[in-house]
Amino acid sequence: MREVVIIGVGAHATGQFAEKPLKELGYTAIWGALDDAGVSPADIDAAYVGNSIGGLLTGQEGVRGQVVLQHSGITGIPIVNVENACASAATALRGAWLEVASGAADVALAVGVEKMFVGDTARTIAALSAVSELDLSQMGMQFTTSYAIHPKINLKARMKEYGWTIADFAKPAVKNSYNGSLNPLAQHRRPLSIEQIVQSRVVVDPLTLYMCASISDGAAAAVVCSADMASKFTSKTPIRVASCVLRSGVYRLPDDDRLDTASTTAQAAYEAAGIGPEDLEAVELHDAMAPAELMLYERLGLCGPGEGPKLIDDGVTTLRGRVPVNPSGGLCSRGHPVGATGLLQIAELVWQMRGEAGERQIQKRPKVAMAQNQGGLLLGQDSAVYSCTILKT
Amino acid sequence: MNVLHRESIFLPPDGKQTPCLLGSRCDKCQTVVFPQMPVCPACLTNGAMQTVEIGRTAKLFSHTIARFAPAGFKAPFFQVFVDLPEGPRIFSLVGAACPIEPGVLEDGMDMRLVLEPLADTPENKDLLTYKYVPAAMHGESGRVRHA
Repeated sequence: MREVVIIGVGAHATGQFAEKPLKELGYTAIWGALDDAGVSPADIDAAYVGNSIGGLLTGQEGVRGQVVLQHSGITGIPIVNVENACASAATALRGAWLEVASGAADVALAVGVEKMFVGDTARTIAALSAVSELDLSQMGMQFTTSYAIHPKINLKARMKEYGWTIADFAKPAVKNSYNGSLNPLAQHRRPLSIEQIVQSRVVVDPLTLYMCASISDGAAAAVVCSADMASKFTSKTPIRVASCVLRSGVYRLPDDDRLDTASTTAQAAYEAAGIGPEDLEAVELHDAMAPAELMLYERLGLCGPGEGPKLIDDGVTTLRGRVPVNPSGGLCSRGHPVGATGLLQIAELVWQMRGEAGERQIQKRPKVAMAQNQGGLLLGQDSAVYSCTILKT
Repeated sequence: MNVLHRESIFLPPDGKQTPCLLGSRCDKCQTVVFPQMPVCPACLTNGAMQTVEIGRTAKLFSHTIARFAPAGFKAPFFQVFVDLPEGPRIFSLVGAACPIEPGVLEDGMDMRLVLEPLADTPENKDLLTYKYVPAAMHGESGRVRHA
């Protein structure tokens, strides 16, 4: 397989853009990426468009990718619609990467776009529930429930097992809200304190509103090409896709003692990229709930069991730390337009690796970074989709 | 009344039996799963799954109180995972006999199956489903309770 590089990224800010349809959100991200890459629509050989709940929320049940791309002047080429819940955009990137790596395409485009503000929050929440297996969502389970008590994460049990406190749960959101306050693209730009987070409205005991990623409109895009062609289009530093791993959840019985799927996905990504977690210099990970970040530190091999809060207390994962996590503000602060998040993570890491991240720039420009993304929920305990992408310069 | 997940619940035709859940047990490796599946997820054998009655009792694995309700539900309400003695660990709601307060439920508690309306809302009050209540609060051996 050929070496593949990202030569351009673009994004539409996350937030509430009620008047903008999917194709408008997409246009800003797509042309941002095309211009950044120095390519024209005619240069794109194939495209993958990630979107999860646009059918339910906008009514455009089919062919959303073609609709979005035609609006941006991209037609005729192979276009694939990608639905993989909150990891749709990461999966779209994988599709674009594979096209080029395999030689089927020289230049490919990955887009992620989501529109969640449709004037009816209840409809949006119901659509979000539809990325969990229906047997669960029909009984009123929400994603916040799954973080609180689901055997897979079971944050309540961690309080007993590790001695984590409610303040510990809030710490990733404090860190990420500060990072988000420095990010012009972020939905939430107000730094929050532990008190504000802990005292916000309880959604599902003991998880509070400010610990949750909020609903968002947004979009992001990336142009990838064969490494040997990059200089044809741009003189900017090409960012190498060192590995791009996709996995699905596995069915687990109560006595299942296999490694968590987020861990196995990360391990596969490390192995394919020839690195270990100690080599990471920046991470964008899936903080759908702030305390999930504490669990993900363990699962990605950044610390041992229960040590997540210490990593934040010691400053390791803050912007000035050894391995900044969620410099963009993460899902909680930057926002979580579900079908776009995976590429918003990639865009952030590309900007950080190029030194283009403005006020939130990691001082020592990262040379090795990981984007971790997941989504959906299945019977049998696991999430439906797990994704890990490692970038290198 | 309509029944949510009808194929997963055994409704006794008369008063001589109690309701229960219907799962699958693999003839080859004896693994029991809920809901029913045609392929055993443990040994991946196709066509060896038999329907089995399960879940009349359970042990509480984890619990929380949802303070925000999705459409069709009323907050606050319990959301739990329970361990069935036959093997599966499943998501469930809690029956109306159980007061919705912190400290009422304790992980590890013995629970009993009941059949009750999904939620006390216009959309769901006529839809029956399985729930669990603490054994100490269990009244009529799992007989159907009407809203």
